[in-house]
Amino acid sequence: MILRLSLFVFLALAHANFAQTSEELLKGVILKINSVKDYKADISIKAEIPFVKVPIAKATLYFKQKDKFKVVSKGIAILPKQGISDLTSFLSNESKYTSLLGDSKTIGDIKTKLVTVIPNGENNEIILAKVYIDPTESLIYRTVLTTKESGTVTVDYTYGQNKKYGLPNKMTFSVDVKKFKMPKSVASDIRNSEKKTKDKKENKGVITITVIGYEVNKGISDDTFKKD
Amino acid sequence: MLWKNTRNEWIKITSKIRSYLGIGALTVLIVVVQVALKADGGSFISYVTASFEQTLSFNGKILNGNLVAFIVLQMLIVHVPLLIALVTGDLLSGEEAAGTIRMLATKPISRTQIVLSKWIAAALYTFVMTAWLAFLSLVVGKFIFGEGDLIVLNSSGLNIIASDDLPWRFALSMLIAFLALLTVSTLSLCFSAFAKNSVGPIVATMAVIILFTIIGTLDVTVFDAIKPYMFTTHMAAWRSVFEVPLPWDAVWESIVVLLVHIVVLLGITILRFNKKDITS
Repeated sequence: MILRLSLFVFLALAHANFAQTSEELLKGVILKINSVKDYKADISIKAEIPFVKVPIAKATLYFKQKDKFKVVSKGIAILPKQGISDLTSFLSNESKYTSLLGDSKTIGDIKTKLVTVIPNGENNEIILAKVYIDPTESLIYRTVLTTKESGTVTVDYTYGQNKKYGLPNKMTFSVDVKKFKMPKSVASDIRNSEKKTKDKKENKGVITITVIGYEVNKGISDDTFKKD
Repeated sequence: MLWKNTRNEWIKITSKIRSYLGIGALTVLIVVVQVALKADGGSFISYVTASFEQTLSFNGKILNGNLVAFIVLQMLIVHVPLLIALVTGDLLSGEEAAGTIRMLATKPISRTQIVLSKWIAAALYTFVMTAWLAFLSLVVGKFIFGEGDLIVLNSSGLNIIASDDLPWRFALSMLIAFLALLTVSTLSLCFSAFAKNSVGPIVATMAVIILFTIIGTLDVTVFDAIKPYMFTTHMAAWRSVFEVPLPWDAVWESIVVLLVHIVVLLGITILRFNKKDITS
């Protein structure tokens, strides 16, 4: 009986020591985010969006703590409205949300823990965030953001050389694309009758951002973020 | 003799004030559109991207010279035929109204050659107008707004075309636009062979364009059979060049339909002028 009790106490203590809480998991992630003061990344953007035909675009992404973010592209680059830098800046302010620990899930071959993040206020664009974190390396492998304006945005992350900073080398965004409303003035195409796209159903668009190279903590001037 | 007469016809066109009216009007219109877009181009862009803006953000220089050129072409390609018909509709009937047709017929040149020389001069004028339209919209547009990718909205959705993929597309679209305008020139020349004054052919040309355009836009099945053969249907073919992938079959079809119209209308003009009684 004493042996059984001792074993129970040992297991309970062990669980308390090794099982991380949602706050601890997020703290690990935030720690990595905060180790990056600024970065510049050369990226290529591949957008596969219903009703949109766009060539692969090259762009440069600038970030500076806490929430300075800018994309500079020579051509036209389509990016998701949510999910690039807003989640990390949102997570950095712990007083703004409540987190709950959820189930484990294997993404690829990585075992992750689900942390559900609910904003405390009502003014946030993000309504709910599901963050899948690798507890051993404190890396986010997937986020599912439910937003007020942009619907649901799912982001899958792949890591490479800049794992230590928590910076992914590939991000795949899955976004809701609303019904395409064609302005009447463009409805007079020659072959309009052959391809009526009015009132097509809501669809998913996939935007893949591949990072060609990072420059981390090299210092970026505030002038870079000024509007052109 | 044909080329000598063509030169004379060209001199006649360039010596008329109405020939410069079209070029002047085109210049004013394009400058007005460019100034308006410079002042408030943002509202046009949001009109194009509105359906996607809730979820997606468009980065980069959207309002650029290529987009402005496309907008200008789209706005003016409908109105340029009137400016061209003003000159070409007068080529044969103007001679009759002025009484110079008999003097022209006394020259050692066949009536067919007279029509051909007038048609070549009309084609040259149409080319000048098209080239001027291209220069103002594209070259001046790029000078004011700079280079950039082209964002085009059509019935299949939104096409974004890289700037280095655009020069040949603009060249091809201008070639198709030239063929469309040359069809209008030939039509007005054809009407000119039937008329005895200048106003009739010009008004008739515009009436035909308006009538065919209305029939083309009416979504009534009874017209479906004739729509593919109307030249006005193919006047907008230049726009197809900015689709991805480019619908070559449709573009070729439009080029062939326009060329057939030019040949048939020119043939009718030659036949009519050869049989025309100019002695009375």
